Amino acid sequence: MTEQKSPETRVALKHLYKIFGDDPEGAMEHVTQGLSKPELLDQHNHVLGLSDINIDIPDGKITVIMGLSGSGKSTLIRHLNLLIRPTAGTVEVDGENILDFGESRLRTLRQETMSMVFQKFALLPHRTVLENAAMPLAVRGFAKDDRQAEANKWLDRVGLQGQANQHPNQLSGGMQQRVGLARALTSNAPIMLMDEAFSALDPLIRTDMQNLLLELQEELHKTVVFITHDLDEALKLADKLVILKDGFIVQQGEPQKILMKPADAYVEEFITDINRARVLRVRSVMRRDADLEGVDDAVDAEATLEDVIAQSRGDSSACFKVVQDDRVVGRLDMTDLVRALVPAIPTAEEDAPRPAA
Amino acid sequence: MATYDGIFEALGLEDWCGSSASSAPMSMSDLVAQSSGDGGGEQQVSLWDTPFPSLDALNDACAAMPQSRDVTKGLEQGFLSIKDSLKVVLDPVTQPLSWMLDGALYGMLATPWWIVIPALLLVVWLVSRSAALVTFVGVSLAGLAFIDQYDYAMQTLSIIFVCAFLCVLIGVPIGILMSRSDSMRRMTTPVLDMLQTLPPFVYLIPLIFLFSVTESKLFGIAIILYAIVPVIRLTDLGIRLVDKDVIEAADAFGMSQRQKLFGVQIPLALPTIMAGVNQTIMMSLAMVVIASLVSAPGLGVLVLRGIRNLELGVGLVAGLGIVLLAVILDRVTKAALQRINSVQQH
Repeated sequence: MTEQKSPETRVALKHLYKIFGDDPEGAMEHVTQGLSKPELLDQHNHVLGLSDINIDIPDGKITVIMGLSGSGKSTLIRHLNLLIRPTAGTVEVDGENILDFGESRLRTLRQETMSMVFQKFALLPHRTVLENAAMPLAVRGFAKDDRQAEANKWLDRVGLQGQANQHPNQLSGGMQQRVGLARALTSNAPIMLMDEAFSALDPLIRTDMQNLLLELQEELHKTVVFITHDLDEALKLADKLVILKDGFIVQQGEPQKILMKPADAYVEEFITDINRARVLRVRSVMRRDADLEGVDDAVDAEATLEDVIAQSRGDSSACFKVVQDDRVVGRLDMTDLVRALVPAIPTAEEDAPRPAA
Repeated sequence: MATYDGIFEALGLEDWCGSSASSAPMSMSDLVAQSSGDGGGEQQVSLWDTPFPSLDALNDACAAMPQSRDVTKGLEQGFLSIKDSLKVVLDPVTQPLSWMLDGALYGMLATPWWIVIPALLLVVWLVSRSAALVTFVGVSLAGLAFIDQYDYAMQTLSIIFVCAFLCVLIGVPIGILMSRSDSMRRMTTPVLDMLQTLPPFVYLIPLIFLFSVTESKLFGIAIILYAIVPVIRLTDLGIRLVDKDVIEAADAFGMSQRQKLFGVQIPLALPTIMAGVNQTIMMSLAMVVIASLVSAPGLGVLVLRGIRNLELGVGLVAGLGIVLLAVILDRVTKAALQRINSVQQH
């Protein structure tokens, strides 16, 4: 609690535990004594939902929490606005432990600081699209004209011009989720929680929505916490990636780092199926402080390996200087690039031996 | 010598039992036994014929034991002894019910038919927006009036209106409370079960003792007790069935309990609540007929007359009138329910 936050951390979860059952506090003692999840279920009939979760959620970035079903990711996101209360641990928003908040202060936090987008949209079926989008401001007691003007603005922004007077059931799933997004944006909260927001949508519409979110994020710089079970989606959106398994954090960090240095076999298995060329970026593969003699072609540090392969026209002996913000920061050999495409071969920058796979 | 003498002897309770002569009033079987000449009953009872150790059987052995008739008598006396104090509380509380019923009955009959029927048709139009239904109701009412059942039908209708209105007024808040707290639900459910299974005639007995038969609240209370159950149950059910995701969204955006109740839960539970109102109205119609036993006016009186005097025609016509009213009330409330549903679907 007294520890000084680094300024860019917006929300911090510390030693968060959640146990489901009749007597969570009693079961918590067993967990602190080191009982594992299956043991707790066998011996005490309590489910360890989340175990020792520590995450610093950076301000203005998209933090993606990824895990398979049953990994506790939806439980975790509900701890951020205390729809579920933890058994132990703290949730700090802007340095304050929100578990100490009274009911009205918590309500204010939910109204003004956090908004949420749901997997199943959770719109009010008896209200129009406009009224749904204006709901967060109605809750806060804004005048009808004010809140509808704001809601209209965001409905237009998410591409729902002219749909304001429809009811949600008249819209397709993708459009309903746009309403959900508009509702979250209308609340004007700096933190946005997205619980598998795009999982119920068709793949093409999902891509649209992901692009829309990234586009909005470029402009708004919200602190987004995004839950997904889809690694491609996670890698596309994440500034920071947290991988959850059975209620534990397996690995967290920048997605590129996780791809290059998976913490254990589980993560490794997870990332085998993805298209690394499309996800990995030049800066993760390049050599720093390398000799740049006779290298003329330049690539951007943020370019994906796929871009570089296209640029090299398949020439495996090509090499490039890597440019970031008009500065040369390193050198990329095609051989390094090709090695990076296969996870098992250590790459140039990697010196430390990886944990046994 | 009675069957269970041995038990009291073994327990050493003969002194407490006193003399073997029973001080309790003589029962019919005792009388029969006496007159057939068996006297005190010295005969041995075979194991096969051993009576259950009921109060009466034990009383035979031990005069100090109460008889079963003492139980019913005690219940009766207990009720009669609290009756007066109960009346002090219940009378003023229920008095408005009498006024409302009397007012409604008077108002409905004092207003000329050419105002009442169009007014009713207007209400039907407002809740259903269906020309076919308005026509059906108009023809039915005109038919009833044509065979001079108009006054009776209007009396029945006005009683139903008042009682169903009060059922909703009391039942919906109780249903909301039940949906909010499981302990409230646990406490209320047995009462509702009892109200629903108790034969309707049984309500009438204590009510007759509490209130005078000339007071309209007597049948008003009987109808409300009988008809309030579905609206309570379905309000509770409707609110509990509201989509958990929507409730979660309401919480996530910081709605207060009140905003959640009036902005989300009640609107979304409205179709179910309306189904409860429909049931409540139908059940008040059923009860208003039975309540004619305790002076409720209306078509039920005619049915009763048909039974009492074996006037077959009168009874049948009144019965058909009741069916017609039931169909009208059911169709109109269902049409209203449908409209609510269609608003929510779009």
